[in-house]
Amino acid sequence: MSRLNIVVILMVAVLMGTLFSVFTANSESVVFARAFAEPGIEFKVSGTLDTDHPVMYDPMVEVAETRFHMRDKDGALQEVVLRKAKPTGLEQSESIDLYGKVVDGQFIATEMLMKCPSKYNEESHSLAEAKPEAG
Amino acid sequence: MDIAYTGEWTWAASLGRLLIALAFAGGLASTIGYTRLVRGDDPHWKALGRWGFRVQAAGIFGASALLYLLIFSHRYEFEYVWKHLNDAMPFGFMLSSFWGGQEGGFLIWMCWILVLAIVFLRRQPGKLEAPVMAVHGGILTALSSMLLGLWFGDFQFGLDPFLLLREAPQNAGLPWTLNPDYLQLIPQFADGQGLNPLLQNYWMVIHPPTLFLGFASTLMPFAMALSGLWLRDHKEWMGRAIPWAFFGVAILGAGILMGGAWAYEALSFGGFWAWDPVENSSLVPWLVLVAGAHLLLINRAKPGTAVTATYLMVGLSFLLVVYSTFLTKSGILGDTSVHSFVDSGILPQLLAFLLGCCALFCTLLLAPGRERVLFGALQALLMVGIAVLDPALCTLGLLLVMTMAVLRAHLRHLPRTDAESPLWTREFWMFVGGMLMFASAVHITFQTSLPVLNHFLAPFSGWFEQLHQSTGSALARKLATHDLAPGTDFDATYHAIQVPLAFLFITITAFTQFLRYGRNPGKPVFMQTLRSLLAAVAVTLPVVLTYGFAAWEAPRVALLLACLWSAFANADYIIQVLKGRWDHAGASIAHIGFALVIFGAVLSNAKKDIVSQNRFGDLAMLNESLSNEEDLLLLEGDTIAMGPYYVSYRERRQEGIHAKFAVDYFETLPASYAEGEVVSNEGFLFQCIGDHTASPDFTRDLEAHWTFLPIPNDRQRKEAKPWSAGRPGPFAFTLEPRIQLNERMGNAPEPDTKRYLNKDLYTHIKWGRVSDPDADEDGWMDGRKHDLMRRDSLVIGRSILALDSISAVTLEQKPAFGLLDKDLAVAAHFRLTGNGPDTNFTALYIVRDSLLIPDMVTLEDRGVKLRIDGFRPGEATFETVVWENLSIRRDFIVMQAIVFPQINLLWLGCLIMTAGALMAVRQQRRVRKRNTKAAA
Repeated sequence: MSRLNIVVILMVAVLMGTLFSVFTANSESVVFARAFAEPGIEFKVSGTLDTDHPVMYDPMVEVAETRFHMRDKDGALQEVVLRKAKPTGLEQSESIDLYGKVVDGQFIATEMLMKCPSKYNEESHSLAEAKPEAG
Repeated sequence: MDIAYTGEWTWAASLGRLLIALAFAGGLASTIGYTRLVRGDDPHWKALGRWGFRVQAAGIFGASALLYLLIFSHRYEFEYVWKHLNDAMPFGFMLSSFWGGQEGGFLIWMCWILVLAIVFLRRQPGKLEAPVMAVHGGILTALSSMLLGLWFGDFQFGLDPFLLLREAPQNAGLPWTLNPDYLQLIPQFADGQGLNPLLQNYWMVIHPPTLFLGFASTLMPFAMALSGLWLRDHKEWMGRAIPWAFFGVAILGAGILMGGAWAYEALSFGGFWAWDPVENSSLVPWLVLVAGAHLLLINRAKPGTAVTATYLMVGLSFLLVVYSTFLTKSGILGDTSVHSFVDSGILPQLLAFLLGCCALFCTLLLAPGRERVLFGALQALLMVGIAVLDPALCTLGLLLVMTMAVLRAHLRHLPRTDAESPLWTREFWMFVGGMLMFASAVHITFQTSLPVLNHFLAPFSGWFEQLHQSTGSALARKLATHDLAPGTDFDATYHAIQVPLAFLFITITAFTQFLRYGRNPGKPVFMQTLRSLLAAVAVTLPVVLTYGFAAWEAPRVALLLACLWSAFANADYIIQVLKGRWDHAGASIAHIGFALVIFGAVLSNAKKDIVSQNRFGDLAMLNESLSNEEDLLLLEGDTIAMGPYYVSYRERRQEGIHAKFAVDYFETLPASYAEGEVVSNEGFLFQCIGDHTASPDFTRDLEAHWTFLPIPNDRQRKEAKPWSAGRPGPFAFTLEPRIQLNERMGNAPEPDTKRYLNKDLYTHIKWGRVSDPDADEDGWMDGRKHDLMRRDSLVIGRSILALDSISAVTLEQKPAFGLLDKDLAVAAHFRLTGNGPDTNFTALYIVRDSLLIPDMVTLEDRGVKLRIDGFRPGEATFETVVWENLSIRRDFIVMQAIVFPQINLLWLGCLIMTAGALMAVRQQRRVRKRNTKAAA
């Protein structure tokens, strides 16, 4: 057994351990029903912004509070509070990951990730509307 | 029937496609010719290989030149040009519109591969020419197939960079595409869409080509490794590959950090590194390439050491480049990543390319003959399975087969030394360092690939669900939902593992240079590195004291110490051992640079200070001390304290595609208070008993200069200002964070940064208006409803509107108000203060014959008007509508400001590292030349 092999085996063992811890560390991804059933525990809830309700943000009143309605993967609609300034592009977002917990019957999110049309996204350019100019 | 389109460069589309097809065909010929040439020196096959390569090179260079011609001539009939260019873009961004899309990315990647291959051919490739060029031919053929743009029914084979808009699938069959004059008739063709404004940044002119050169430079060591396997010569190629590998280290490293610089300057995610899938997937090949390059060095000094690991590292660095292309271009990250990656429609092709490269590598690892055929066939079978059966299961099977091939090759075919390597040798520690870097790469890849992993978990979902139900394991439930995503807390997801790993491999770079290959006496090395270690400790101590580290940050402090030790030790090596011979110092300089990069990155990120936090507010309201406020609300014209500055939002103006917000910064001077002044502090009032200059802390001044007011009178209450240690001093500078007006992608904030030698002040807009709110022709904005009771007040522009009192209108008062006797009326007495003289006025709530008579009160000169729409007697509340005029409106922004300490060390380190690695390339070439001469 050469020293090099021992190094490799140790490395593999450490990596397996860390990867396992990675699995267990990530917060669990749930729907609103579950988050409300277990208040006080931090979850990740994914869904989409509901555009029928307005996004409420008034920095004159509270700089770090944004309220909006989100529809989760089961289609349940819920008003949520994000303890941050309104993120740029919230209205354009295609999907939202909220990290937070239920406190006093309110879903309070401390962290939010948005999937937005970004530099990696090239929208399809349709010229279906293109019409020759009159005359 | 052919239509002769007017004004369209139809010929260019045909020529472009011809060139791509030529490149594809030439590539095939070159691959076949060179592959046959490996078996035996036959001039015909040699000619086929070489001419095929020339045709291929001509095709790719020609196609690139043609695409540039189209861009510079603004030929908007081409979809690619129309999508990525418009008339407003200056010359620099016209250059970058070439790589605005995937097609251009593939083209520039191939151009660099070709350039490197030509350099290789000019340097007496000898017997490596045939296998290396065969691999190049195969890879380039596969890459050029990505540009063929052929359709087999609904199956797309490649993206055509020369596609005309009228031929684009989404426009197929539209009536205008049959109109010969469509270019003249349809206004949309007069100008293009333009490059995504986020990419209109000068870094985007040099970052992508550098990165693609870095990507291309991983192919040469990979091709050489395959040649080694092919020719069963595990020594020759390793020597040759060293300079190429270090060239890749230099260029890829620089390219990655340029991307960081772009993110820091143009994107507002608050830093230069965000562990983003795109960043990660270019960092990982670099880490593995660094490990591979060092293993090659070991092998030159001690042939036959860790041969399998060397093959794996060198092979993986290229395979990971392909994997990163697959991740970011195939759209597979789409579901779970923050970014929405586009599925360009060539996912199957990219996947086939990736798996093909892996399979080729694994097959060549095995012995020629039956074994290769067996494993090759098995892999081919599984790849067919991916296409027609279950993709996830078959890919898993394929990975299993590949792992078996690697293990078999290691145990059976590749040379292994059984000689025990002594502990204190350069080769041992270089190997350990390389493996640690590889471990770091594995961890990052794993986090980045979670979305891919989810696909593999999907088929086992039911099984995990059962496991969860029988054991109640939360982990099993998590796996059953197969919705894993990297966490948002970088400390937990990345730093917890990356920091200790970095600590270990950077520590290794500190002392390994002092060790020699082969056996070393232990003590001198310790003595040689002692003084640099002491120096590092001496510098780390003040750093720790200045920036204040908590106990849990011990790994971070250890990493900073390791970085300093490495930087000092490598500098010391140049002095002690090399005695200032700079031509041998490349490696040491690169190590110094790398240590500085990590030092700057860790310190600036760990000790970044969000100075826009509202600290005073937290003190005043202790119950809000857990507030999440990192952002500052700034009203136009207000001057408020922010960290070490006073800031004032002066104006907003539009310049080009940017709305700029000018924020003035003032130095802070200590405040001075005069006798008799009243201040409030933490809810209590104090009166000044002697002129003095404030110290930073109120409690220090309290005894000598202030007296507590237990029962303040009304005047004192009114006069009291919050105590503050400072006051705005002289003007320092102006920063102009911007919001980019981007109709296509949504408005995007862009930071503005004040650079100092030892820190950066980085500011960006979190919320701001890019234009004035809607108003009628007289400037009145939409009214806002308020329910007002007695003593309520509102802020309107620079004034405060207060409802002082309510009274019923008596019979005697009615004529004065112009009311009839039968009317019912309630009067609201308002007072408007600030921004002009105090003004009292009365608004009426009038009911006549059970009808509401609206009474609009307008204070034109003060820019305020209001009307009472309702009165609720029970609560004594007026439903009031208040209008504000644009003339008195105060704009406001929500801003975030961060101080990044010592971030310049990061950029300095980047320059030093690149320079050092390039010096090492030169040095290695010299060594090679000398060795070849000695051998001859």
